[in-house]
Amino acid sequence: MRVERRCVIDADRDTVWKVVSDPDCYPEFMASLERWETLTQGPVGKGARYTVHWKIGSVPIGGVVEVSEFDQARDLAWIGISGVSLRGRFRIRDNGDGHTRVVFRLAYESAGSLLGLIADRVAARQVGRSMTETLKNLKRMVEP
Amino acid sequence: MAGIGEVIEWARHQVASRVPKADLDQRDPDYIREQLPGTWLLASLYFRADVRGLDRIPAEGPVLLVGNHSGGNVPPDTFVFTLAFCSYFGVERPFYQLAHNLVVSAPPLGWLRKFGTVAANHENAQMALESGAALLVYPGGDYEVFRPSWERHKVDFGGRKGYVRLARDAGVPIVPIASVGGQETALFLDRGQWLAKLLMVDKLARLKSVPISLALPWGINIGDLAGHIPLPAKIVVEALDPIDVDADDDVVHKKVVESLQAGVDRLAAERRFPVIG
Repeated sequence: MRVERRCVIDADRDTVWKVVSDPDCYPEFMASLERWETLTQGPVGKGARYTVHWKIGSVPIGGVVEVSEFDQARDLAWIGISGVSLRGRFRIRDNGDGHTRVVFRLAYESAGSLLGLIADRVAARQVGRSMTETLKNLKRMVEP
Repeated sequence: MAGIGEVIEWARHQVASRVPKADLDQRDPDYIREQLPGTWLLASLYFRADVRGLDRIPAEGPVLLVGNHSGGNVPPDTFVFTLAFCSYFGVERPFYQLAHNLVVSAPPLGWLRKFGTVAANHENAQMALESGAALLVYPGGDYEVFRPSWERHKVDFGGRKGYVRLARDAGVPIVPIASVGGQETALFLDRGQWLAKLLMVDKLARLKSVPISLALPWGINIGDLAGHIPLPAKIVVEALDPIDVDADDDVVHKKVVESLQAGVDRLAAERRFPVIG
């Protein structure tokens, strides 16, 4: 299941990147976040690991994720290592006039064949709502 | 009447010999992982469950999770919490649940063993904790789970406090798990302890009650051995602050029950209607 939300923010890419690339900001702008722990030491970048759980439906869903792309002011992507199969990405691009277009993507797949497919689809609505909320929070935090 | 004594002994042996010996290796993380989406659907859509406070459970190492038990032979609180635990800590963290002899020996429920359900006795519990796993127990067991629905917010272990010694021996903390809603999935009328004595199943099968309830699809449901279809009552479960076993059994037991009761009261106060939540 792939869910995507996008928005245009009235700030430049570097300002947006400052929030998106800072693990300390995640509890503030990531909606429905129930658990957020840093697992690796050292600077943020490719290979850094975090435990992330979103409250989706009745319980926290997520697991350990690893940053797989860390492209300054352009792309931040991660893959899930434990828990539900997961890929995520913040895609940050210029939109002219000092505006920035942010695309937030989550692709996930739970185990368990048919019931897994149904669960993915049922969860998609709530996941989508949380992602919309997340971009709203991001916008609020970086716009002057 | 030597006959009755022999029959009882024979029946006791038949039941006891069918209780599978606990084998912790029967727990299968891949199996659990594949069952989680279906469980999640049931918990989220049917029971509209809400699980809180999982961060209060120590993130690693053995721990004894002690809950109040509700819902008769189809206890939604158990599987909702199991789902939450496995989702939060990952299926990789070893996690076992104690269940009544009749539950683990019922052939149609063999799959429960893959979830880590083992027969409730001191040896199995000790073995699980010594292996470093988290262990979920409901000391109230079949006594508490069949309390009348109007006592649904009363934590009642029926005087059982062996779990404190278990935690002490293993040197692990106790985390109380409070839940509400389970006793609204059917209308439980009576524990039927008098019926259990009358039928002598208290001696034969360690069954202290033959409960009487109104439940789907049976109407009047006596014994609940075949289970029932639970009403879609809203289930709320909350893990509470860990309690260290640093005093004698009665003191710790009192602390645990008080903490659970306070947790249940708090969750119950949020409910506006039975079933609907």
